Order: sequence, then structure tokens, then C-alpha cells
Amino acid sequence: MSSLLRQTALLVGLALLPAVGQALYFRSQISWDARVSESEMVSVDQARGWGADAIWIDARPEADFERDHVPGAILLNEDRWNELLSPFLQEHWKPEKKIVVYCSAESCNLAGDVARRLREEARLPNEIRVLKGGWEEWLKTRK
Amino acid sequence: MNLPTKALVSVLFLGLSTVAQAQLTWEKTELNLEPPPGADSAVANFKYENKTDKTINIKAVRTSCGCTTAALQKNDVAPGEKGEIVATLKTGDRTGMQVKTVTVETDDPKEPQTILTLKANIAQFLELQPAFVFWTANEDPKPKTIVAKAGKGVTIKSLEVTSSTPDFTTKVEPGATAGEFKILVQPKETAHQSTANLVIKPDKAAGENKVFNASARVMPSSS
Repeated sequence: MSSLLRQTALLVGLALLPAVGQALYFRSQISWDARVSESEMVSVDQARGWGADAIWIDARPEADFERDHVPGAILLNEDRWNELLSPFLQEHWKPEKKIVVYCSAESCNLAGDVARRLREEARLPNEIRVLKGGWEEWLKTRK
Repeated sequence: MNLPTKALVSVLFLGLSTVAQAQLTWEKTELNLEPPPGADSAVANFKYENKTDKTINIKAVRTSCGCTTAALQKNDVAPGEKGEIVATLKTGDRTGMQVKTVTVETDDPKEPQTILTLKANIAQFLELQPAFVFWTANEDPKPKTIVAKAGKGVTIKSLEVTSSTPDFTTKVEPGATAGEFKILVQPKETAHQSTANLVIKPDKAAGENKVFNASARVMPSSS
């Protein structure tokens, strides 16, 4: 019985050590609020490959968009959703195109929220994906 | 207790004591907020206390999103001193559960970072389902319905809907329950492309000058 307890304690201890280490030293690198599943994401390379078949949406704040953005991207964020959604739908949206939404980085959830609202509120039938790594990742691979 | 067990217990205690030495003590590192519908911000007060005998310096406070600000009363926290970091989320047109973080950096080498989490469940003032209706070229120009539903805690007695162009007509009918309306949108024809912005105004009793938009579009024949 005591041998069983010792083995259990040993296993728990071994499992706890890396967890304590991670919590102490990598806390800031953990994405605590990631809410977009892998299947809803697209890599920069794949999204680039879609070329003119994709509409790019920038979900970042307007100031970031004004500073720089993916060429051809359209500003659509939740700060001014009510105001920006209608022009997007009336002037840019096409049912056959894929939609790629991005925000600043992997850890931001603005793109996920905008993608969800395009699906659930506007009920767009398009394939809507969130850019993996966001603007930061796109910048790394900018040609 | 044999030697390996003693070693294991020692390592576990060492790990736990390292965690317990956090210098600033936070009342809560996660706060859940329920701002009223239509509120333009959600404010979280993260209270702390320095329970040590040394002054702690807060070196930086960073937020996870441009929509959130964090105000710090002072950088140096004396022993026994209490204070708070006020995190404000500008709600804008956001809806649903919003999770934002505030990262606090101190000069404590053992726990240089603390992550504070603000969770705000933002109720929608008026839900439009869907916010967009469209017809393909030459589709039968039958009316399509947008259901408008008042959010939780919001009373809307009537809606006024106007189309930005005469290419579409709109009609408002009562919905299945109080605070619910059916907006019937119909294009005059679908042989030519056209678009309209539908401006939706709840009655004044519901809130000051709240205006919502929906869109209607007849697609061009080429797409």
C-alpha cells in the first residue's frame, strides 16, 4: 500500500514539476484566450495562394490599419461594426470568394470575433478563415 | 520515508514556496463584468496589496488590445500599501463574451509578470438575424425577413426602418414575442444589381438615438 502511495506521489511530482516551471517562466507566452479552432484558421502561405479568390479583412483598430495593412484589405472591426459592415457587404462582398480575417498577432482574438459575427450575424455563406499568426506573421513573410 | 521520497517532497515544497513568494498580493486576478446593454465601457478594478516589507516597483502595465486601457495610480508600492489598476474596455460595437488581459510587470525577480483577466459579457441592444439579405441575379424577388430582437433588459415597443434607395421596400411586423419584430425586405426587381442600407431606429423610449444598420443587395449577374 505504501509502495503504491509512493509511486503515485512520484508520478504526481514528476507531472507537477514541468507545470510549475511553465507557469513561472512561460506565463506570458501562453495564449489564455485562444478561441478559434485550428480548422477555422489559415496559414499566410495558403491564404496568399488564394490570390484574387480571397477578400482580406483587417479587424485591428483603425489607427493600426491606417499605419499599414495587407494590400487590398478592408477595415472591419468591432469598434465600429455597425458603421463598417454595410459598406463591406454592399461594395466588396462576393458570395464565391473566401474571406480571410486577421488581427495583430496569434494571441489577439479580434479576428476570431469578426469571423464569428460574419458567420452568425451576417450569415455569409463564404468560407471564412482567421489568419494564423495575424499581421505579425504576414509581415514576416512580406515579399 | 526513504531518500528518494524525501528528495521528491523537498522538490515539491521548493516549487510551492517559490509560487507563494509572489510580492504583490492581488484580491482577484480575474473579474467578470456584465455591463448594461448600450454601455460604452466596462470597468474592472484589480485591487492589490504589498504584504512584504519591501517597496515594489511596477515597471509596466500592458493591455492585450487597443480597445482596453489600464490606469495605474502609482509605480512604487510601499510595504503594506494598497492600490488598484483600473482596466477599461471600450465596448464599441462589441457583443458577447470579451476576454481581455492586462500584463503587470514588477521588479520582483521571482514573479516579474502577473496577468489580470477582464471578462465582459456584452449584451446586444438589438439583435438582427440576419443583418444582411441578398438575392442572386434574376432570383424571384420575394421578400426576405430580418428578425430584430431587443436584447436582455431592453424594451423596444416599435421600430422604424427606412431603405437608403427606392430599389427596396421594407415593412415591419410584430414578431413572436414582445420586443421582437419581423422586417420584410423586398427588391423591386432582380434583373439589375442594386444595394441598400436599411436604417433601423427603435422608438425613443428604448434609448437615446440608437440606430442600427442592415444591408440588402441584388447581386450582379456576372458573379
